[in-house]
Amino acid sequence: MLFKIIRKEILQNLVSLRFTFSLLLIVLLFATSGFVFVAGYRTQSDNYWEKTNNNLSGFRDQADELYKLAFHNHEIWRKPNPLTFCVGGHEKSLPNCFGTDTFHSVWWVKGRHNFLLRQFGDLDWVFIISLPLSFLALFFTYDSICGERDAGTLRLILSRPIPRHKVLLGKYIGAMITIGLPLCVGLLVNLIIVISSGVIEPHPDVWFKLAAIILLSILYLSIFVLLGIFISSRTAYPTNSMVVLLLIWVGLVILIPCLGRAVSDVFYKAPSDAVWTRRYSDMLDQLDREAKAGKFGKNALGYHNDPNHPSVNPPAVARYWNAFSDGVMQQREDGHNQRVAQALAGRRFAYLSPTVIYQKASEAIAGTGLHRCRSLWEQINRYRNQLKQYILSQDVEDPNSLHLLFCLDDLVKNWNAISKQPVDFDTVPKFRERDWTLGESVQLAIWDIGLLVLFNLGFFAASWVSFMTYDVR
Amino acid sequence: MIWRIAKKEFLLNVMTFKFAVGTILCVVLMAVFMPVLVNDYHQRLKDYNTNVSATQAVLQKAKVYDTILLGWNHFVYRPPALLSIFNKAIAHHVGDSVNIRIYQVPELSAGSKEINPYISILPTLDISLIFKIIISVLALLIASDVISTEREQGTLKLMLSAGVARYQILSGKLLAGWMTLFLPVTIAFITGLLIWQLSPMIDLRGADWARIVALYLASLLFISVMYHFGLFASCMTKRSSTSLLLTLFFWMFFIIIVPNVSLHLATFMRPLEPEEVTDQLLRDMRERQRKESRELENQMPRKGEVIDIDEGMGRFYVICDREAIECQRKRNALLEPLKIKHVAQRWEVQHVKIENLFKQKQVATLFSRISPISLYGDVTSALAGTDASSCQDFIKAAREYRQEVLDYVRSKTDNFSLPILFTPFAAIDTNILKQYNDPNTDSEKIQKWKELKIAQAKPINLDDFPPFTWKPDVTTAIIQIIPSLSAFVIINMVLFVLSFVAFMRYDVR
Repeated sequence: MLFKIIRKEILQNLVSLRFTFSLLLIVLLFATSGFVFVAGYRTQSDNYWEKTNNNLSGFRDQADELYKLAFHNHEIWRKPNPLTFCVGGHEKSLPNCFGTDTFHSVWWVKGRHNFLLRQFGDLDWVFIISLPLSFLALFFTYDSICGERDAGTLRLILSRPIPRHKVLLGKYIGAMITIGLPLCVGLLVNLIIVISSGVIEPHPDVWFKLAAIILLSILYLSIFVLLGIFISSRTAYPTNSMVVLLLIWVGLVILIPCLGRAVSDVFYKAPSDAVWTRRYSDMLDQLDREAKAGKFGKNALGYHNDPNHPSVNPPAVARYWNAFSDGVMQQREDGHNQRVAQALAGRRFAYLSPTVIYQKASEAIAGTGLHRCRSLWEQINRYRNQLKQYILSQDVEDPNSLHLLFCLDDLVKNWNAISKQPVDFDTVPKFRERDWTLGESVQLAIWDIGLLVLFNLGFFAASWVSFMTYDVR
Repeated sequence: MIWRIAKKEFLLNVMTFKFAVGTILCVVLMAVFMPVLVNDYHQRLKDYNTNVSATQAVLQKAKVYDTILLGWNHFVYRPPALLSIFNKAIAHHVGDSVNIRIYQVPELSAGSKEINPYISILPTLDISLIFKIIISVLALLIASDVISTEREQGTLKLMLSAGVARYQILSGKLLAGWMTLFLPVTIAFITGLLIWQLSPMIDLRGADWARIVALYLASLLFISVMYHFGLFASCMTKRSSTSLLLTLFFWMFFIIIVPNVSLHLATFMRPLEPEEVTDQLLRDMRERQRKESRELENQMPRKGEVIDIDEGMGRFYVICDREAIECQRKRNALLEPLKIKHVAQRWEVQHVKIENLFKQKQVATLFSRISPISLYGDVTSALAGTDASSCQDFIKAAREYRQEVLDYVRSKTDNFSLPILFTPFAAIDTNILKQYNDPNTDSEKIQKWKELKIAQAKPINLDDFPPFTWKPDVTTAIIQIIPSLSAFVIINMVLFVLSFVAFMRYDVR
């Protein structure tokens, strides 16, 4: 009997106008998304490798003298992630280029993004599923109960010895399959376009991640299907049900994320650039005062190409400049952390919306988005320290060096503060961005998945109770 | 007859569940959004005021005109747009401060550091969302069952049999729709303004009121377009549920798909040159310029004894003997104009890049205008003064201001040839300077002497220094939106004609 209800539901939906429209729209969107990705990804990837190789060869050239390694300006670009076609994670607006030597690192948002275009959303799976498809999910369910009541068919069904939960389950499964059809066709079209173009290599890990994202999407859509059934079984007329559903959808999908942004802007606002510039000059002033007070030793502010000149005191100079580097990096770290904290605070508020949870979970699985950028920045800073330790450890072996590493390349060179002997480039640590493994991704997403399941259970229970007590007259 | 139908329809509409929910939601959202947005605006205004006063302090201590030319921490700031509350558009994505200095011609920039790139994971919030989403959906919901529901209930047949002309019915329904939707739009505006007036620090001037009135009219026109759209759908379908789904489907298309896809299409159809190309061009240019200035510098080698003083906060100057002053004076008179010329040349390259961004944006705008919701967004951002052209207007003013500052320094220093450009001191005996330049002299003694000198130097008189004033212009904004407003009117008329034709041929059975 359950099967019969499901079949009837599916057939009824399949022949409807809304199904045709949805199928067309979703497939078109997925196809466009595929083409947009393919057009951009190849050049992105070529650019990345070109820049990375340039950086590496530049670094290799510095290996003839140890001290030069410390002053090489690495330009590290964010590796294009093959999974951006499913989860873009707003990476276009996030920092994508990082500069570092052994003393300082910085981040920039570079590239071809046009800042005059407002809110540059990604046209990816997550966008299509979280916005249009979730909306369409309501289309298929808003009249599932009250529509049948209105038409009188609900009474007919219930007059036969079918328990109500079977009717509910049948409707749920029927709606899920109906909404799953455009999704499957769209995903297939998208995958065919992406894979046949050959821009990504189908790695088993990629397949696992894709499967996980699809599962997540189904979990997400199921929330809206259940929501539709729930509201449909709380209202007497389909139009009322649609009005309520529309409002809930707008609230969950559009308003709450916007409100999250507003809350973070108001309560967690990171200081502006002007404030940082002022703090920077305050820090310099303080360092200057401390140096004059003799905190770093005598003549710490001296500058002379001869280390034995009376106006300079090499260890004090090194201490002063290292304090300067540390101060600068501390400020940059603080700036970065505060900016991330602001965004995270906004998102935490927006956790009331399953859309945000779904987006975050899929970002975690695909390894894109904010967390990835943050982890990249952390990796780069770790690398900076690693390189510094390496240089210092190599330098110990040179008896002629002063063993002082600080950020003025002229002085380090002229004083022989760091060894000028050649090093074996193979032993030098090089930066390589570490991808998340599937396990790590899942670990990051596990709470979000749990929340999505909770939403599902909640709405299922609610629609169950509502339908059990539904007045079919 | 039209009036009677309109009255009946209006009363019916107003008493519906959807109207009540929509209107209450509007008020509630206004009440929730408005304080948050006003708070945000206050914070921006506060930042703006601190920044402006901080800048004034920077210049107050200048002892030579070079400090002004170098412009360390000398910024001018774009005041936050009061109506950004209504539509934020891109104003927050574009840098709102410009460094005024000789080495740089102001140009529109991304302000990448000023705004937080990470926050872009969440969409922006403004009042126009209430109109774009809640009231436009309400308009569609009300309009979509205007004709088809009456057909379903059989009342349409009754009405037509009573000798009422079809055009009368349609006009009556249209009038009723306008009256019904006039209510939530007006209520939303009044609620917003009330909350606004309650908060301190905001005073609305004449120009602001003109903008608000224009925003109100634009909102009414936009909502009317949405209503017409629903009416047309209702005249085309036999069942109210079909027309409802159809209009909602198109609504989703307009609000989500068109704005996003148009951006992608624009980047696809008008790709930008990679940044490296411009960077390379600039690097080459800089190299050429450096050579040129080096040649000129070599003609006049530095002479005499000089001691540098760095007072911190971008205040550098020198103590020189007679010969050095004379030499530096001549060098400046020759090199500073060259510097200005070089910077202007480099700016031209940067400007071409920005123009290309604008062209890409135009393509995106063109595509997005398929959707009345995007059109409405453009109109409101232009009126709120948060669109790209307002930001560009500010940059243009800053550019003119920089020129003014340069001219000021030029006039005060007789075309960069007076010593006050680089030193506040008269010539000092060569032997003294030699003694202080000697590395064997005790560094503490030098330091003390320098501090004494700094204390002696007086700040330059900046009483007639040109102030920066920029006010967004309301008339240009209104002229700018006239084409879009006319587009709204035309769409309204076209949709009405279409609905009229469809209703004339409507099968009432």
